[in-house]
Amino acid sequence: MSDLEITDLHVRTEDREILKGVNLSIKKGEIHALMGPNGSGKSTLANTLLGHPSYEITEGKIVFKGEDITGSDPHERAKAGLFLAFQYPVAIPGVSVANFLRMAINAKREEPIQVKEFRTELQHAIDLLDVDRSFTSRHLNDGFSGGEKKRAEILQMAMLKPDVAILDETDSGLDIDALRTVAEGVARLHDEQGLGALIITHYQRILHYIEPQFVHIMLDGRIVLSGGVELVERLEREGYDEIRQEFGASV
Amino acid sequence: MSENESSANGAAVTVKPGRHRESTLYSALAGVGAGGKGKSLAALREEALAVYERTELPVWRRSGFWTTSLQELDLDKLEVRHHPQGELPAIVLETLPERKRAGRLVQREGSVVQLELDAELAGKGVVLCSLEDAAVNHTELFEQYYSKRLTSDRHKLEAANAALWSGGAFLHVPAGVVVEDPFEIAYALDGAGAAMYARTLVIGDAGSDFKLHEYNLAPDFDTGQALCAAAFEMYLRDGARCRLAQVQDWGNGEVFDASTRVVEVGRDAYCHWLPALVGGHLVRQHLELAVSEPGGDMAFRGVFFAEASELLDVFAVDLHETGPSGGDVHWRGAATGSSRASFEGLIQIDPGAQQTHTYLQIHSMMLSPKARIDAIPSVLVSADDVSASHGGTVGELDEAVIFYMQTRGLDRASAVRVIVEGFFEPLLSELQDEPLEELVRAKVAAKLARASEDIREYAETR
Ligand SMILES: Nc1ncnc2c1ncn2[C@@H]1O[C@H](COP(=O)(O)OP(=O)(O)OP(=O)(O)O)[C@@H](O)[C@H]1O
Ligand SMILES: [Mg+2]
Repeated sequence: MSDLEITDLHVRTEDREILKGVNLSIKKGEIHALMGPNGSGKSTLANTLLGHPSYEITEGKIVFKGEDITGSDPHERAKAGLFLAFQYPVAIPGVSVANFLRMAINAKREEPIQVKEFRTELQHAIDLLDVDRSFTSRHLNDGFSGGEKKRAEILQMAMLKPDVAILDETDSGLDIDALRTVAEGVARLHDEQGLGALIITHYQRILHYIEPQFVHIMLDGRIVLSGGVELVERLEREGYDEIRQEFGASV
Repeated sequence: MSENESSANGAAVTVKPGRHRESTLYSALAGVGAGGKGKSLAALREEALAVYERTELPVWRRSGFWTTSLQELDLDKLEVRHHPQGELPAIVLETLPERKRAGRLVQREGSVVQLELDAELAGKGVVLCSLEDAAVNHTELFEQYYSKRLTSDRHKLEAANAALWSGGAFLHVPAGVVVEDPFEIAYALDGAGAAMYARTLVIGDAGSDFKLHEYNLAPDFDTGQALCAAAFEMYLRDGARCRLAQVQDWGNGEVFDASTRVVEVGRDAYCHWLPALVGGHLVRQHLELAVSEPGGDMAFRGVFFAEASELLDVFAVDLHETGPSGGDVHWRGAATGSSRASFEGLIQIDPGAQQTHTYLQIHSMMLSPKARIDAIPSVLVSADDVSASHGGTVGELDEAVIFYMQTRGLDRASAVRVIVEGFFEPLLSELQDEPLEELVRAKVAAKLARASEDIREYAETR
């Protein structure tokens, strides 16, 4: 039984249908990659999984750890152990990274986390993501560079310890050193905590640091092809056109 | 977010005072204060009483924007009630933080009911006493400063204060005395039926350095009206420094507040002033921070939060009578329910106040479809070697930010609270006073909790 089970998911926004029947299942500890051209619906899937109010599910369902969460509030999904590292994280002025993390951690717990325990965990995450201590006293994503925002996303993930995380183009906009740090961070969480992940990406390079067992290709709101790492190499070689032609009939 | 900015950099820009103003009520006092002029307190009271008797309850009108009328107030049903020494109002005990303090004066409606002053400070010559007491026992300072910058004839309630005040607070920090902990002055109403004419005079002598926290409080009550008409004046002499904060929360009763507060910043003196106006049925505050001598500098901060059917009208003046001087005005306000908050910020640079540099910004956040915040900056510059500019933003809750926080496990109400607290945070953290920051944060959180339904509906309608 998979931890995240997506069945025949159809999603629309006000003006049109974007996801047209997505099927996907992810177990804790599994690494999946999701690739697809711009506008194919990857972020829509990511946001829908977390319950974004702009996306209406017209058909299908999402089951997480045996619970149907298709209609749950976003914070309930988060508490259940689902996490999204945003493609475009928003700024939260006036709230420091550390304070925000404390609130987020406490939201999941009965008793507030002890100061000492929090510090230890934070230090662990800081080391993992190789950021400066002062980073955590800055206002979350406020004036952060692209790379800092992505690190902050993974820092939050490290602290919140989800069972399944969706990383929406976390690798985009990172220089090679930052990419390695972030990717190795994700790999460590996978190894240490058995994190399951859906890594949305356009590039092969992140997958060198964290190898997926499954690769899925999305075209126009559907996953048209699933396989292993060899799919990534095929994509690099051929681009989406070949695949589009092959699956053109169904797209 | 919308951003607007205009500046009067290096050029004399004069905005006609009458352009949007119906009367002179939206202009700075600018030193027109009557002052004692050698008259006895009794004579001053008598003059003010005559004004009180011949004038109507005030209406402030900013055409096209708002009207603030106190004519709903039924003065005949109100009286100044007196209370015995030592009988502290519950609201004061509940609200004022447990902390080390330099001294405390509590006035309950017509009477000072608590007075304490750190013995060591008293030994250094610091005076904290009722203003009535100061009029008798500190005549020299009283005569020099009493009503130096305040008027008593602009409207009925100002006149009422000047004529009828009782108790009152007087604080004198002598030259060179540095005080670590804050002085506290609290004015509290018991509930309906009360008129309180609060009067405060503070003098920070040359080189003194101190903190003052003023509280204006009332418990919640159901029926009937109450009034506070306050007059506050502070004079900071050469090189004096003061961090002045005010927490005003009149609760949910029908409390009217029409008050004037003036701070004069002398040569090389500095004032950081932060009023937190977080509750009151109808509140009209004229707040004026005036740099009167070269080298004076100030940071004029303000936080307001209107809820339910509250009406708040703030006129904040950043006045420069001489240069070089500095000013920095930064206000933030939010509104829920069907409340209205009207803010006018005036930068006034008088002729000859060269090398004045000042900036005014006002940021507002609307949390309900029926709430309204108007913010009007105006600039009146009569010197050419100055810079005076203003800017501001009008914001609403950002659903993308709410969703982001929800994906981290915060429910919607918590996310909204975090956003609004974050909105106020840049100013609250400037208080540099943990207990006071916590108090204001708690008041903001309570307001949000009461408005949570309203805020949710607002989100769903958009
Ligand atoms: N809230 C929305 N309202 C209207 N249209 C939307 C909304 N969100 C996404 N879309 C549209 O749905 C389609 C899929 O967008 P989505 O962001 O999911 O693509 P993507 O695969 O993540 O692309 P990229 O690789 O560029 O990130 C696009 O055509 C986009 O314009
Ligand atoms: Mg995307």
